[in-house]
Amino acid sequence: MENFDSSIAEILEVDKVNPEDELVDFECWDSLTLLSIIALTDQQYKVNISANEVLAAKTIGGLKELINSKVK
Amino acid sequence: MNKAFNPFSLEEKNILVTGAASGIGRVTSIILSKLGANLILLDINHDELVQTHSQCNPTDKLLTLDLTKTDLIKDEILRIIPESGKLNGFVHLAGKPYISPLKSINGQKCAEIYSLNTYSALELAKVFINKNVYAGEKGSIVLVSSVYGLVGSAANVGYAMSKSALHGITKSLSIELAGKGIRVNCIAPGFVKTNMMNTIDGSFADDHTNLLNKMHPLGLGDPEDVAFAVAYLLSDAAKWVTGSILNVDGGFTAQ
Repeated sequence: MENFDSSIAEILEVDKVNPEDELVDFECWDSLTLLSIIALTDQQYKVNISANEVLAAKTIGGLKELINSKVK
Repeated sequence: MNKAFNPFSLEEKNILVTGAASGIGRVTSIILSKLGANLILLDINHDELVQTHSQCNPTDKLLTLDLTKTDLIKDEILRIIPESGKLNGFVHLAGKPYISPLKSINGQKCAEIYSLNTYSALELAKVFINKNVYAGEKGSIVLVSSVYGLVGSAANVGYAMSKSALHGITKSLSIELAGKGIRVNCIAPGFVKTNMMNTIDGSFADDHTNLLNKMHPLGLGDPEDVAFAVAYLLSDAAKWVTGSILNVDGGFTAQ
């Protein structure tokens, strides 16, 4: 999960993210940001995740766990 | 009625179809075969290509090839032509979606998408005009783009780039190849019910399919809707049609 925090922070338009941060609480959160996360995980980690899975992950830490669980 | 009169017939036409292993490519192959065309079915996925072949004419040929390896295209097509006969046309249906907002756009991924969706069509056209490949008259090239080559949509810029470029290729080559008797046209389909659409759907919220349906006055399309348009453009009925972008989209772009 190299560069995960910095990549996700860039997408969420903040300098730094914490594991407990709720995805929907970020100021820039919208459907395009959600799609950016899906595209990032596909490109950077070769992992396919759905919009519903991202929403269910809820937090930065949850998202990290979701991606980790799918990395082969 | 004179049974012999059928300008829409594809009898005795040798046609290469890319992307033949799935979705619109598979259904188009089956319909072209039923209309009498002799086919070369091309795709990267051999197992699924065999499935398509099982529903086409047994004498149709298979060509398993990764179109992004453009340096292989010429040799592979030249290898199969003695078996299939020289070509009257080809249909470029191979393509991949790329859902990504600008924030996460990736140069390498864009290059991959462009290579398959766009540049391979140009390389195929280059090989098609080779004297050992082209049958010499009544040539027809049909490219397949997307409504998103014509109108905008968020999170789709990489795909839109690859598909709108096909429209430029269509216009340019229609002029360049008219002297050789080769027509070049493009179909811009709306959303068609295929596995590719299901894959895209997973990236969006639950009501995405309903929203898409509402954007098409005639509802979502079936693969055969595109296949019938391909068949027309390949046939002699379209002998005065070149350089056109045909919207086959259930009214998506009429609004």
